Amino acid sequence: MTTEKTISLEINGRIFQAQEGMTILDVAQREGIPIPTLCYHEALESVGACRLCLVEITHPDWKGWRGLVTACLYAVEEGLQVTTDNAEIHNTRRTLLDLLLARCPNSDVIQKLAAEYGVTATSFQKNPIETTCILCGLCVRVCAVKGCSAIGSARRGIQKKIAIPFGQPPPDCIGCASCAHICPTGTIKYEDTADVRKIWGHTFKMVKCESCGRPVMPEKQLEFESEKSGLGPDYFKLCPVCSQRKSVETIRSTFDMKPVEVAR
Amino acid sequence: MHKTLTITPSRCISCRTCELACSFKHAGVGGLGISRIRTFMFGEGKNQILTCFQCDEAACVKVCPVEALSRNESTGAIEVNEARCIGCGLCSIACPFGHMAHDAVNGIAVKCDLCRADEPACAAFCPTRTLEYI
Repeated sequence: MTTEKTISLEINGRIFQAQEGMTILDVAQREGIPIPTLCYHEALESVGACRLCLVEITHPDWKGWRGLVTACLYAVEEGLQVTTDNAEIHNTRRTLLDLLLARCPNSDVIQKLAAEYGVTATSFQKNPIETTCILCGLCVRVCAVKGCSAIGSARRGIQKKIAIPFGQPPPDCIGCASCAHICPTGTIKYEDTADVRKIWGHTFKMVKCESCGRPVMPEKQLEFESEKSGLGPDYFKLCPVCSQRKSVETIRSTFDMKPVEVAR
Repeated sequence: MHKTLTITPSRCISCRTCELACSFKHAGVGGLGISRIRTFMFGEGKNQILTCFQCDEAACVKVCPVEALSRNESTGAIEVNEARCIGCGLCSIACPFGHMAHDAVNGIAVKCDLCRADEPACAAFCPTRTLEYI
């Protein structure tokens, strides 16, 4: 283990203490300094894909050099001077949102964020391919963290897209739908019925709550989770409502057998 | 040794103040459905109040894929790190007692965290000392 070194840096003219290895965004979020993000998630590795968290940095030793870096990736340094918002940063973010709006003109999330920076219609040519995917990669990273790595990205440049291998239902997908839950623009969809969950071309059979019959999770996910957690399958066979009902019933029957005397 | 939230159901008068206090404390609005503590009424004045047991070997902690659940050593409570939670809902299924709730608005797991550093609101507002933090 390395000893954690304390670093002091300046954000918007105020001095803050941070631990070595923290990023500018970690410190800013801890201190409640707003920096917009789209592809950042604390539980996942940062990749700097959306570039919205751009901040300006400089240092007394850098002889006046200053530049824009992504706050989610840039590790803090002693004496670093960070500016989280000025005209240049604002304009850069504005251009980024203009480009995102050109890519995804129909995304509510992007429309709303762009409007905050004064962009109501894109000044670029609109993307002829209809999509709301901003290629932030949160879905790919969350899938990897789950231990599946079923989805990835394919192609390059403007043709880049989130894809499944060879366009076929990915064999490693367990149907947990974490990719859909984390998607900031709601691009990834799944469909649940009483019996099946449809996602990424798969039709997964659902495990039903042993008590009420409501779908709990896909059978393949149950196998995966019971093995990964080491808890075994019994932990995943009741829905939360029935689990709670069961504990109420257990406690009640215990009570009826042994009334508790409470001294007042 | 940290304090414990104790529940003495025989004193409960089913007023559900605990549920209101909990929802106000955590969600800022009064709503019995979003409380992390729940009252069950069996009639004849028999009630049971349930909230997280803060298990030593907690299933929720074991299943969380992103380590969003961890124990606060000063209170002994298992807390959700909202920024880490990816809202997969696995913890609420794995909890054998059904104590994990899902915040549909923010898409994250919610649970009793004994109000972190403060005295739990449910115990502070309970008029009959059914809930005590001792």
